[in-house]
Amino acid sequence: MKKIFNIFLGISTLIFCLSIFNTASALNVVFSEDRPDLRTLDPRITQSRHEEMIIVQMFDQLISADSNGNLYPGLAKSWDVSSDGLHYTFNLRDDVTFHDGTKFDAAAVKATFDSIVDPETGSQGAVDILGPYASSDVVDEYTVRVNFSRRYGSALSAFTETELSIVSPTALDSLGNEGFGMSPVGTGPFMFKNWEANKKVEMVKNPDYNWAPEYMDGSGPSKVDTLTYRLIKDTSTRVAALESGEVDIAELVPPLDMKRFDGSGKLSTIVGTVSGLPYSAFLNTTTGHFQDIKVRQAFFYSLNRVKMTNDLFFGYAEAAFGPISSATPSYWKGNEDYYQYDTAKAESLLEEAGWKMGSSGIREKNGETLSIFFPCLLEPDTCVAIQGYAKKVGFDVNVEVVMKARQDELIFANGYDMLVIRWVSLDPGVLIIPFHSRNIPKPGKFKFNWSRYSTPELDQLLENAESAETQETKDDLYMQIQKTIMDQAIFLAIHDQVQTVAYNPNLEGVRFANGNWQLRMYDVREK
Amino acid sequence: MNFFLKKILIVIPTLYVAWTVVFVTLNIIPGDPVNLMLGGRPASDEVRENVRHNLGLDKPVGERYVSFLINATKGDLGKSYLTRQPVTKMIKDNMMPTIQLSLGGLIFGVFFGVLLGIIAGSRPNSLGDTCAMVVALCGISLPSFWIGMLLIFIFGTTLGWVPIVGEGFVALILPSISVGLFFAGGMARLTRSSLIDVLNQDYIRTARSKGISKYKIIFKHALRNAMIPPVTLLGIQFGLLITGAVITEEVFARPGLGQLLLQAILAKDIPLVQALIVYMTAVYIFLNLVVDFTYGIIDPRIRLERKAI
Repeated sequence: MKKIFNIFLGISTLIFCLSIFNTASALNVVFSEDRPDLRTLDPRITQSRHEEMIIVQMFDQLISADSNGNLYPGLAKSWDVSSDGLHYTFNLRDDVTFHDGTKFDAAAVKATFDSIVDPETGSQGAVDILGPYASSDVVDEYTVRVNFSRRYGSALSAFTETELSIVSPTALDSLGNEGFGMSPVGTGPFMFKNWEANKKVEMVKNPDYNWAPEYMDGSGPSKVDTLTYRLIKDTSTRVAALESGEVDIAELVPPLDMKRFDGSGKLSTIVGTVSGLPYSAFLNTTTGHFQDIKVRQAFFYSLNRVKMTNDLFFGYAEAAFGPISSATPSYWKGNEDYYQYDTAKAESLLEEAGWKMGSSGIREKNGETLSIFFPCLLEPDTCVAIQGYAKKVGFDVNVEVVMKARQDELIFANGYDMLVIRWVSLDPGVLIIPFHSRNIPKPGKFKFNWSRYSTPELDQLLENAESAETQETKDDLYMQIQKTIMDQAIFLAIHDQVQTVAYNPNLEGVRFANGNWQLRMYDVREK
Repeated sequence: MNFFLKKILIVIPTLYVAWTVVFVTLNIIPGDPVNLMLGGRPASDEVRENVRHNLGLDKPVGERYVSFLINATKGDLGKSYLTRQPVTKMIKDNMMPTIQLSLGGLIFGVFFGVLLGIIAGSRPNSLGDTCAMVVALCGISLPSFWIGMLLIFIFGTTLGWVPIVGEGFVALILPSISVGLFFAGGMARLTRSSLIDVLNQDYIRTARSKGISKYKIIFKHALRNAMIPPVTLLGIQFGLLITGAVITEEVFARPGLGQLLLQAILAKDIPLVQALIVYMTAVYIFLNLVVDFTYGIIDPRIRLERKAI
């Protein structure tokens, strides 16, 4: 008995030690991953939004953007765009050093961008964000000119993206591409310390940091001494660790728990509406019953997206109406006037299209039933809710929960009626990828135009918008694009993507980075 | 010694067959490793081709298979498609947490399982027997994720006795119980039936008639003879544990080989799956040897029989 008591004492002493170290200056954040593990912490290579959550703490970009997308000087004090829109000249800060002591200068910017477009690097995100990049010229030590091969309307917002962070050229040389991804070196407020596979990434504050963008509350080094990102995939464990105080901040908290925390006041919460494509469904225009625009429109009208979103998210997400989320630049308000819930309209459209109500509650035409095959990769709950609404007007929606590999096969084979998607993106320029006809998938060629809609007019609009000269023309072109997509009823927005964060109420300064997906930990401090 | 040498030599054809099956299967099932790696994010053809080239996937299937076999003979099992790290390093990184959890589960399972087994087996059909068997049944039938969540809720969130995702020994307690309970259930049932069997033997009756105390009979005379079947089970179950307890790892946010294998298969990460097969084959062969050794220690007759052959 005495022995048992001793063991118990030993355990409780240990716990006590742990809780002593759990102060605000040591910040513990939990995140989740829907995939194996983090693979790289190299901003030039990553394409994972989970990896970017960590990368963003350690790097700076030429231009910095707040969570509303307003641009501020970052590593560049100012910038000029040539009248033909092909050359961007950046006037760089001269007081910045990388974590390894390397001086930040024009050569570092050139080295970063040149390495992104080098196929050997194997960039998965940055190379696309850099668009029609041609070259960089070192004008003098702290002036760099970035050249594009054609006008690139999204360039300024591209330079704010985490993927285009500036990396230390000396570290790149000494570590190589793979080594750099395992121990990254940037200029950001936190420095990489340690990465335990499948478990956690530890960072320490950069004591020399003195170049925070002006929209931040603080200046100088962060108040957080050590920053640990702990991987917890299981949702209930993530929430339990947060409630027991073992971690200070948790992302992707289920709406029901958010509601509970807001009700009790035990934990603080913030919610970000993520910019980019909302959670949406492509309707296949080349096969099956959705070839008929009236059937597509009827399907849209049959869904009460506002109620559905409320039922599923308890008010923590808004219904979405357009091809890009309301948090994305160039969002067109007119989207919201389309396809509001109206079952009578849905029914009359189906009648017009010749679909008569059958005895089993499913519509029929020429002996065929109105069946829709809906492979569902993301959010099965939402897919099933859609199924329920559509049934009321006579659709027989066949939901099959699929894995990525199965979905890919169906895409190659054009064997689906609907597919869901969601994307984080800072710029409406992303629309060219799911809507340009050159991006229609073929067997063996994976592409993203899953509604397989193809007209030269929409292609032209998308190309023009990409190289728009002024913000006004850009907004106008993206308005026309959104209108076309809505008129044709090829893409059914369902709800905004949200990032739900809960944190220790003794903390303040928890803020989203641009795009409202990643958090910036620089400003976090005790109240 | 010949006996053990034979066991070790059989590894080579076993591995060859296993690798071939893995390679063929993973190439047949749908999905392109490049796509799975990009995880559904938009990427240009350029990016896809770069990734494909970097992974060596632009080479014909036959060539990939042959070059894998050649490299494997040299001891190089290749790099993961997913992380581009050497697969041996990834396995090494994930091995320690798995071994810790397996040992934790083993210690808890054996201790608790044998205890339950003795309680039940020493007085069959008593109240103690029924209670012990109900606990054992729960251990076997309750899903480990549910037990894990329950343990977290009671001891982590409500009582706050142990950290949920902490570090070191304390963080091992709840997961060990969670996997150990399943282990204990099987051990208890097997120990019980084996013990009842042994207790009915003539020599036990003789010992009893000589007036030896009940505890001495059970612990000194019966238990040792009753342990052969449970030790076999121990070997098999430990083998299962040490190749990864996926669900427990997930619930307690622990790294480990179970997660690694599951995700490697889902992502069609052929080099990683193949390397894990090597690891698992090695583990099972090693454990079989250990179990064989243990038989000899528990029951010297087995050792003698082996010599006679």
